[in-house]
Order: sequence, then C-alpha cells, then structure tokens
Amino acid sequence: MVELKNVSKTYSNGTVALRDINLKMDKGEFVFVVGPSGSGKSSLVKLLLKEEDATEGEVYVNGYDVSSLSRHEVPYLRRSLGCVFQDFRLLPNKTVYENVAFAMIITEALPKEIRRQVPMALALVGLSRKANTYPSQLSGGEQQRVALARALVNNPSLLIADEPTGNLDPETSWEIMKLLSEVNNRGTTVIVTTHEKSIVDEMKRRVVAISKGLIVRDQEKGQYRDEDKNCQTYH
Amino acid sequence: MKIRTVRHIIKDGFVNTYRNKLMSLASTVIVVASLIIFGFFLLVSYNLELNVKMWQEQPQMEVFCYTELDATQVKMVEDSIKNNDKIAEYIRVSREENYEKAKEKLGKGSDLLKGYGADTFMESFIIRLKDTQYSQEVVSSLEKMSGVEKISYSQNAIDVISRISYWIKLGSSLMVTIFLVVSVFIISNTIKLTVFARRKEINIMKYIGATDWFIRWPFVVEGVIISIVGAIVAFVISAYGYMSLYDKFAQDLFLADSQLLKMVDISEVWPQLILSYLAIGVVVGMIGSFLSIRKHLRV
Ligand SMILES: Nc1ncnc2c1ncn2[C@@H]1O[C@H](COP(=O)(O)OP(=O)(O)OP(=O)(O)O)[C@@H](O)[C@H]1O
Ligand SMILES: [Mg+2]
Repeated sequence: MVELKNVSKTYSNGTVALRDINLKMDKGEFVFVVGPSGSGKSSLVKLLLKEEDATEGEVYVNGYDVSSLSRHEVPYLRRSLGCVFQDFRLLPNKTVYENVAFAMIITEALPKEIRRQVPMALALVGLSRKANTYPSQLSGGEQQRVALARALVNNPSLLIADEPTGNLDPETSWEIMKLLSEVNNRGTTVIVTTHEKSIVDEMKRRVVAISKGLIVRDQEKGQYRDEDKNCQTYH
Repeated sequence: MKIRTVRHIIKDGFVNTYRNKLMSLASTVIVVASLIIFGFFLLVSYNLELNVKMWQEQPQMEVFCYTELDATQVKMVEDSIKNNDKIAEYIRVSREENYEKAKEKLGKGSDLLKGYGADTFMESFIIRLKDTQYSQEVVSSLEKMSGVEKISYSQNAIDVISRISYWIKLGSSLMVTIFLVVSVFIISNTIKLTVFARRKEINIMKYIGATDWFIRWPFVVEGVIISIVGAIVAFVISAYGYMSLYDKFAQDLFLADSQLLKMVDISEVWPQLILSYLAIGVVVGMIGSFLSIRKHLRV
C-alpha cells in the first residue's frame, strides 16, 4: 500500500528532514507516526503526496511510483487517497456540502453518484444538519469533520492525516481519532501523525517514531514514548 | 472534458464572482477606471483626427483663366466649377482684385506694373474641395477646359498643414498606445492580486487532486465576467460623459459656428469604444487570469 525504500529528503536550503527511511505499511493498517517537532513527520507526508520529491530513494503509494510520477499525473495519485491536515484546508467560498462534493466533481463523477455519496459522507461524520453552512460558521472540530468527509467521499483505500487534532481540544481530538479508527475498521488504511500522547497510548496501534529524520522505533501496539527510554529518563 | 464539467466550471465562475463580492467589486472598479482613462484618450485622438482632416481639406486651389477670355467665357468656367460636385465652394476673383493683390505683393515703390492696367490681369477662382482625395481628379478635369490657363495649389499651406497633422496623428496614436499599455498593466496587476489573495484556495484544490485546468478555468471565467461588466459600465459612463460634453459644445455658439473645431458625433465612435473596451477587458482578463494562476499551481 505504502512503501519507502532508502528515502532521504534534503530541502533546497540544506535542511536534512529525512535520512534513509525504510517503511512499509500494509492494507488495512492503522499507523501513528510520532516524534518531536521538526523531526520530519510532515516531510514524510509531503513525500507521499508528492508535494515534495524525495532527494534519494523510492516512494510507492497505492501502486503509484511516486518518485517517477510526472506533474500531469499527480492529481490522480492524490485522488486515490484522502488527506486531512491540521489547518482543515476547506474552501472558504463553498458550503459544507459543496466542499465535500468538490472532491467528487473533480473526478467527473456522475451527479447521481454525488447526490448519493455526499450525504452519506456527511452522515458518517455527523454533520448532515450543517450541509448548507460555510466553513467560517463552524467550530474547529466541525471543520475537521468536514475535511474528513471530503477525504472519505471517494471511498479511498488510504487516508493520510497530518496532525488532524493539532488545533483541537482534547475532547474533540478524541472524537476525530475515533472517527479515524472507525474508518480503519471499515478497511481503509490510515496513517496519522500526531503529538497526542494519551490517545496514542490508549489506542494501542502501530507506532512509528521519528527523531531527527531517522526512524528510531517501529512497534505494533506501541506507546507514544519508548518505555525503556522512559525508565532511563525518570528513574 | 465532460459537458457537466464545463457547466460546473462556468457555474463556479459565476458563483465565485458573486461570493467574493468585495474583491469582484474592487476589481470591477479598477477595470472601469482604467478603461475610462484609456477611452478618454481614444476619444481625444478621434477628435484630433477629425479636426486635422478638416484642416487638410482647407487648402485651396486657384484656377486661373486666360487673360483674353470675355465675360461669357469666364461665366462658362464658373458654371462648370459651380456644377462640379467635388467642389465645396468657390470665390470668384476679378481682374481688378488680382491687380490689387499683385500691387500689394510688389510693394508701393515698385514700378514693375507701370503701364499695365487691370485688363492685363486674368480672372481667377479660388476653390475649396470637399475632400483632398479628389484633388487629382478635379485638377485634371478643370485643366481640360478651354478657358483655363493653369491651376495652382497654395503649396505652402499644404506643407505646413500636413506636417502639423502628421505630428498630431503620431502624438495621438502614441498617447492611445501608452494608455492602452497602462490599462493593460493595471488590469493584469489587479488580477495578479486577486489570484494571490486566493492562492490558498488554489493550493487546497491541488491537494484534493484537481487538475490544473479544472482549477484554472473558473478563475478565467471570473476574470471574463468582471471584464465584461467593467467594459459595459465604463462604456456607459464614458458615452454619457462624452454626450454631455458634446451638448455643451453644440450650445456654445462661438465654438460651434467658428467651424474651427468640431466634435465627432457619438454615433460614429461608440462601436469602436465598446469594442475596444470589451477587447481589452476580455483579452487581458483571460490571459491575465491564466498566467497569474500558473504560478500558484506548482504544488
Ligand atoms: N519547505 C521547507 N524548506 C526547508 N526546510 C523545511 C521545509 N519544510 C520543513 N523543513 C524543515 O525540515 C525539518 C522537518 O520538518 P517537518 O515539518 O517535517 O517536521 P514535523 O515533524 O512535521 O514537525 P511538527 O511536529 O512541528 O509538525 C525541520 O527542520 C524543518 O525546519
Ligand atoms: Mg508537521
């Protein structure tokens, strides 16, 4: 589903964001990517979406060889997955319904399909009542749910979320994470970068920890912090 | 591209124009203002050209008859001038008047004319053509007449006027070109700003997987809508302004009667005015939106 082979990323200003990353995620997995600020989590996500190109190595997403994808083919890679960001990224001039429908319109879906899928996606995130409001009239949690509905409306097999709860209070964060978990239970592969220690610890999913651009830990049913390291730090 | 996508793009252009009310309004105002400035110079240049053309028609020609002609023969020449429909008007200059003119030219002290009387001078006609383009034709037809000795242009006047009119025409087309460039610059800069203000939107669409043309075309539609509305508003304002000026001008008896200055009738210029407004607006609106967005599509 997602595979990175010996991937390094150095930005044009010389900052090294990722060093020799090897990572594989299978269909149906739920993966937390954790690490301190500046460790390279967002850079990893950017490589998956081809917002940035890997300096070295190979990136495969949903069967696309991302490194060799032409500019012209990038939109098709992005349509094959859903993504959610910390800052929601909703279109301010479109209503909730139009924002979600937009993801389908760009794929030239049939109007009949759009009229069927959009209300379903909105119902999934519990926002059916807000269909005709504008993003500016919604709370942060609601906006993120709209973004989630938009990411899911095309039924992608992969969902990537870069700090989806970064701007939300703990309670709302839990709601969003539960939604992501639910989406995963329906078979969608989910990748989430986050700083939410308590949520990661509680959910007991696969955890990939990055530090200074290196993968320092990759654990099934992992915790936010490495327990051994914890002992060293606190005792 | 499917039909429903085209329909979506056009609809999106209209809806966005409406929902970005403030930005659309501001851009329209700027389009209107720069078109009016351009239109002002366009109209000034049309009027300059009309007046220059009038002056160019002014140069007169003088038809000299043979000295030996008697009154009836001169009358025949006069009739043919009178009946020539290329000639706007003529003045008959008698032998005496030509004699006086010659005396005046030579000065009081001169005795070159001693012994000559008015009867040794010829009769002549000063004619004004309806249009200088007929001059060849008129000259050759008059030259063929038996009583006509020669036809002379007042060459000096022609030279001066054609030199002045050359510079005026050059100046006015330069002015129109400069203000064309200025308004194109202002409008395309406005588009750049509006697109810049919405670069986040463009980014978001790219993240979702919209293709470049899918993002670009609604913006182009928006640019065209604003340009068309701007062109129409600018036309109404400038046409109204021009007509009021025209009325004032016509009421000013001194200016209107002097025949020295004339204003082009609005009916002769409005098609050029609206067409150039629309052309500038739409072409700049389309190309401007197209190019401005390109920069932000690289995500
Ligand atoms: N466009 C860029 N140009 C240059 N350097 C960049 C760019 N984007 C990120 N970096 C640098 O790359 C490193 C990794 O950044 P990245 O955004 O991937 O971190 P992160 O783990 O997502 O951090 P956070 O938890 O704060 O979101 C940082 O040192 C950052 O300054
Ligand atoms: Mg980040």
